[in-house]
Amino acid sequence: MNELSRRAFLKDLGLPASALSFLYGLPSLQAQADSSPKKRLIIMFSPNGTLPGQFWPDASGEDFILKSIMEPLAPHKDSLLTLKGVHNKVGGDGDDHMKGISCLLTARKLHRGNIQGGGHTPAGWASGISIDQEIANFLQSRKETKTRFGSLEFGVAVPNRADPWTRMSYAGSNKPIAPIDDPHQMLQKMYGQMKDRESLVSILDDVAADLKSVSLKLAKEDKDMLEEHMSLIRQVEKGLVEAEKESSTVHPQPELDPNIELVNDNTPKISRMQIDLLVNGLANDMMRVATLQFMRSVGQARMRWLGVNDGHHSLSHKPDKDKSAQDKLLKINKWFAGELGYLCKRLKETPEPSGEGNMFDNTTIMWVNELGKGNNHTLENIPFTLLGGGLGFKMGRSLHLSGVNHNRLLMALAHGFGHHIKGFGEHKLSEGGPLDLA
Amino acid sequence: MRNLKRNRIYKVTITLLLFLCAGSFCYSLEINGLGKPMYMKQCSSCHGDKGEGVKGEYEEALFGDWSLSKLTRYVIKSMPDDDPDLCVGDDAAQVAKYIFNAFYSPQARLRNSPPRIELSHLTNRQFRESVSDLFRQPASDEPAPEPGLSASYYNSKGMNKKDSLKNRRIDHKIDFDFGSGSPLEGVKAEQFSIAWEGSLRAESTGFYGLRLTTPNGARLYLNVNIKEGDKNYRDDASKESNPPLIDAWVSSGNKSRTESARVFLQGGREYPIRIDYFKYKESTGSIRFEWLPPNAVWSVPTGDQLSTRKGNQLILAKTSFPPDDRSLGYERGSDISKEWLSAVTRASLDVAEQVDSILGYISGVKSKDDPQKSEKLISVAMKVLERAYRRPLTEQEKEQSIGLIFADSESPEVAVKRVVLLAIKSPHFLYPQLPGGKTPSYQVASRMALGLWDSIPDDVLIGAASDGKLSNQDYIRSEAERMLEDTRARSKVIDFFYHWLDLDLERDLMKDDKVYPDFDEYKISDLRRSMNMFIEDVVWSEKSDYRDLLLSSHIYLNQGLAGVYGKSVEGDEMKRVDFEKTERSGLLTHPYLLSHFSYSYNSSPVHRGVFLTRYMLGRTLKPPPQAVSFENQNLDPGLSMREKITHVTKDSNCMACHEIINSLGFSLENYDGIGRWRDTENNKRVDSFTQFETRAGDLVNLRGSRSLAQFIANDSNAQKNFVQNLFEYMIKQPIQAYGENTVDDLHAYFVKSNFSCKGLIVEILCLASTKGIKQEES
Repeated sequence: MNELSRRAFLKDLGLPASALSFLYGLPSLQAQADSSPKKRLIIMFSPNGTLPGQFWPDASGEDFILKSIMEPLAPHKDSLLTLKGVHNKVGGDGDDHMKGISCLLTARKLHRGNIQGGGHTPAGWASGISIDQEIANFLQSRKETKTRFGSLEFGVAVPNRADPWTRMSYAGSNKPIAPIDDPHQMLQKMYGQMKDRESLVSILDDVAADLKSVSLKLAKEDKDMLEEHMSLIRQVEKGLVEAEKESSTVHPQPELDPNIELVNDNTPKISRMQIDLLVNGLANDMMRVATLQFMRSVGQARMRWLGVNDGHHSLSHKPDKDKSAQDKLLKINKWFAGELGYLCKRLKETPEPSGEGNMFDNTTIMWVNELGKGNNHTLENIPFTLLGGGLGFKMGRSLHLSGVNHNRLLMALAHGFGHHIKGFGEHKLSEGGPLDLA
Repeated sequence: MRNLKRNRIYKVTITLLLFLCAGSFCYSLEINGLGKPMYMKQCSSCHGDKGEGVKGEYEEALFGDWSLSKLTRYVIKSMPDDDPDLCVGDDAAQVAKYIFNAFYSPQARLRNSPPRIELSHLTNRQFRESVSDLFRQPASDEPAPEPGLSASYYNSKGMNKKDSLKNRRIDHKIDFDFGSGSPLEGVKAEQFSIAWEGSLRAESTGFYGLRLTTPNGARLYLNVNIKEGDKNYRDDASKESNPPLIDAWVSSGNKSRTESARVFLQGGREYPIRIDYFKYKESTGSIRFEWLPPNAVWSVPTGDQLSTRKGNQLILAKTSFPPDDRSLGYERGSDISKEWLSAVTRASLDVAEQVDSILGYISGVKSKDDPQKSEKLISVAMKVLERAYRRPLTEQEKEQSIGLIFADSESPEVAVKRVVLLAIKSPHFLYPQLPGGKTPSYQVASRMALGLWDSIPDDVLIGAASDGKLSNQDYIRSEAERMLEDTRARSKVIDFFYHWLDLDLERDLMKDDKVYPDFDEYKISDLRRSMNMFIEDVVWSEKSDYRDLLLSSHIYLNQGLAGVYGKSVEGDEMKRVDFEKTERSGLLTHPYLLSHFSYSYNSSPVHRGVFLTRYMLGRTLKPPPQAVSFENQNLDPGLSMREKITHVTKDSNCMACHEIINSLGFSLENYDGIGRWRDTENNKRVDSFTQFETRAGDLVNLRGSRSLAQFIANDSNAQKNFVQNLFEYMIKQPIQAYGENTVDDLHAYFVKSNFSCKGLIVEILCLASTKGIKQEES
C-alpha cells in the first residue's frame, strides 16, 4: 500500500518511473544482482597547474613521503598512485590553457577556430570524444553495466560561458558537454521535483485552512468542488510525509541547503554539496562515470575562505621567488587536495550496495590539471594522480615515468574497464599502447 | 397540401398561445395535451422519457433551434425512424408540439435547468497571466522606445575584447552579411564586435524557436536581467554572467552554422533580449537572428516585433497543465483533478525558483550583508501575497502567513520562496470568484481584471478600489476604458476572435500543390498575419464597428500574397488593398478563413456551411446521424462542388440539417480552396444563389458572399450570438446566469452604440463585474 501511494505520488510530481528503483535502492527493486563488483571512474579537475616542488614525491616506488600539497591525502596513501613524467604532447591550435583543458581528456588537437587566447593561434572546440564519455559509452553499451545516466558531469564555480577554457568533456568533435555547477539543478536532474518537500509541507496547512474558510456559504456543487480540492491536498500531504519517512532508511537523497547562492564565497559549501551528490549518484548506481570540474582553466577564483584575496590565475603567474605568492598557491592547491580527500572519505564511508566492502575500493579517481606548472605554462609533467581501486592498478606507490604521452594513460583507464581500445586521441601519440599500471 | 395548411394553423396557434400565455398555466396546457402520451408510446423508447437520449438507441439529447414548423415537418417525414408513416399529419403535429415545449426549444431547456454562475478555478491562461503579474515591476523611466534593437558597434583587439565603441544606432533586424568587409565606417574589417539590446515582443502564447546563424561567434540572452559578464567585454573575464539561451561563441572554422533553442513565452508581452556577436580575423562575417512563433514559419523578427525598451525579466509559469474544459465552448476551470493540482504544484515550485534567482532585483537587496535585507524581503513577500489575494492583507494574515513563515524559515530568502508557494497554491488565488475576504470594491476590481486581462488587478485598479471609487458606475466604466488600452486586453481580444471564428484549433492548411502550386507555409503564415491586422484594424479603430468585420472589403497583402489574390503590391510589408464589394466581405471571405474551411484541392461548402451555421449564426447543429466521408474521387469529375455536395446529402435524413448547411455554404462557392475568387468551376458558371430558412421560418435569398455578409451583419440572432460568445469568453460563465434578459439587454446596447465592439466589451465588463455585489456605503 505504501509502495503504491509512493509511486503514484512520485509520478504526480513528474518523476519518471525509472527513477524509482534508483531512488529507493532496495534490494528487491534492483536489477539482477551483478556478481562482479561495479567499476567506477571519477575525474577531478583543478586549474592553473601545481607547484612541482610541493607536489611530487621525491622517491619512486612504494616507499615514499607525501609532500605538503598531498598531505590531505595521507589517510589514503595506500591507495594512492602518483604518475610523474606524463606529458600532454598534443600541440596544435589554441593557447596552453585551452590545450590544457580541452585536449586533456580528448588527447587530440583542437579545431582551428575563432577564440584567441593569450598566445598561439585561435582555436575552436576539441576534435573528438573525451575519455570519460568514451568509457561511459562502453559501459552503457553492455547490459550488465548500463545505468540510467551513464555519466554525470559536476562542476564547482564554472562560469556560464561555453568556450575552450570552460569545457573538458566532449561527446565528440564540436560537442562540448557543460558541467552542472548548481547543486539544485543537479538534484533536479537526478531526482526530479523532490526538492522543496519541506517547503511544500510547511504551507499545506495554510492552504487547507484557507480552503475551509472559503467553502462556507456555497452551493452544494461548488462545495463539492472545494471538498475534492481539499482531499487531493490531503493526499499530497500524506504522500510527502510518507516519502520523508521512507527515504531515511536507504541511500537518502542528500539534504541541500535551500538557501545557497552560487557566489564565490560559497564555493567550499557547494563543493561539498556536489561531492555528496556525486557519491549519492554512484551509490544509487545512477552512473558509473563522473567528472568534477573545479572552475575552469585560467580560473581566477579568489579563495577568501583561505585568506587568499588574489585571483588564482594571477598568482599562478608569479615567479618562483615570490614567496608570498607561492605560499598562497600552496594553500590553494592544498585546498583542492582536501576536497579530493573528502571525496575519498565519502566513498570509503559508503558501503557497496551489494554489501561487500566500500565504494572506494571499486572506484578509481583521477585528479587532473591543465598544466604542469602555472608560471611557465608547461604541458609536461601534468600532475596526474590516481586514488581508489577496481581497475587492477597497483596502488600505494609513486611512479616516475620517462616522459610518456598522456594518451597512453587514458588508454590504461579504458583497458581497466575492459574496453581494449587500440589508441585514443591522436593516433601517433598512442603508440606504445596503454601504460602498464598493474 | 392538407398537411401544409394544418401546419400553418398549428404554427399560428402556437405562436398566439406563446404570446398570450405566460407562466406555468400555459406551459402545462402545452405539455399535457395529446402529444405527451403519443410521445411516450412511440418515441420515448429511443429518445428517453425526457428526451435525454437512450444508450444503444439515439444517444443524443433532443434539443435544438429549429422552428416548430421545421420540427413538425421532420417528424412527419422521418420519424419514427423504422417506419415514418406511423406518425404523420395531426399526430405528428401534436408530438412535435409536445417535444418542442417540453424539452426541445431553447426556452424549454432554460426552464428545465436554469444556468447558474458556477464555481471555477483559474483557467490555464488566467493562471499564467496572473502568476506573471504577481511579480510585475513598474516600468522604468526610459526614453520612449522605438521599434528595432539598440546596436553598439565595437572595434575589438586581442582576446576578443570589445575595445572601443565606434557607433550606436538602431537596427531593425539582425540579418547581416558583412562579407570580408567592415560593418560600418570606422570599424575595422578584421575583427569587430556588435551588441544588440532591447526587447522581443511575443504576440501569441506557446513555444517559440529561436536561432542564430553565423560562421563567427554569437550569444543570445533572453528574458534575463543582464549581468556584467553578459556584456562579453573579454573572453577571459571573471564577471558574473547568466547562462545564454544560445551559446554559439565558439566557431571551429569559418563555416556557417545554426544553433537553436526552444522556449515557452506568453503572448502579449515583451522580453529583454541581448545578442552579442564578434568576428575574429575570419575570412567572412555574417549573422542572422530568426524566430519561429507558434503557428508560423522561421523568419527574421523585424520592426515592431522588436523594441529598444530594455525591460525586466518576466516570471513565466512555463510548466505544462492539463487542458481546460471546453465542453460549453469557452474554456472553464471547472475540472478539479489530481493532474491539475499536480500541475499547480509543479508550477509553484518552478516559479519560486525563478523568483529566487531575481530576488535581488525585485527586492532592491544589493548584497547578503544589506542591513535592511529582512525588511525588504518581508515587503516583497507581503506584496506578492496581496496581489495574489487581490486585496490588502489583514493584520492576522500578516502575522500568521507572513510573520510565522519568516520566523520559521532558515533565512528570509527561503521564507520568500515559501510565501510564493502559499500565494500560488492558495484558494484565494486559484478561486477568485470566492469572496475570500475581499470587500465589494476589491471583488469588483478582481472581476474587472479577470474579465479584461485574464489576470490580477494592477496597482492603479487596486488604488481605485482602496479609495472606494469602484462603487461608482461611471468610474468603473472609465477604468474599464483605461484597461482596454493595455496590451493584455488586446491579447485577450484577438484570442477571442480566433475562438469566435473557430480558428483556434490546429488545422493543416497545406494544400495539394498540383492544384495550388504557390500556396506554401510562408503564404499561410502571412495570411494569418493579414487576418490579425484586419481584425485589429476594425476593432481598435474609433468606430470599432462589428459590421465592418463582415462588410469591409479590404485585405492586407504583401507582394507574395497579392500575386495569389489578383492584386499588385511591392515589397514584403503588408499594405491595405481594397477590393470590389462584390468580391470581398470582411472575415467571411478572408482567404485565411476560407482556406481553413476547404479541402486540399477545392472549396468545402459543407465545412463553410457548418461554420456559418454554428459560429456566425449561433445555431445548434447536431453531429450527423451517420458519419459520411466525402469521396471526391468516386464522383463524376464533371460536376461542380455544389452539385457533388447536393447529390451526396440528398437523403431526407441528411437534408434535415443540410438544408441549412448547404444553403449557407453554397453562397461562398465563388471562392476556391485557398480563397481565390472564381467565376467558373470546371468551365461552368459558379452558382452561388441559394435560399436560406431562418429560425423563424422565413426564407431569405442569398446571392453570393456580399448578400450573405449583409444578412449575417444585420441579423439580430447573429448579433446576439456574437454578444453571447464575447460575454462567455470574457467572463467564462453562462450568460443567462446573469439574468434571462442579459443577452437581449446587451444586444440592445450594442445596437444603440452602432455596434461598437469596444463599447460592448466595456459594457459586458461593467455588467459582469458588479452583478450581485452589494456596494458598501461610500
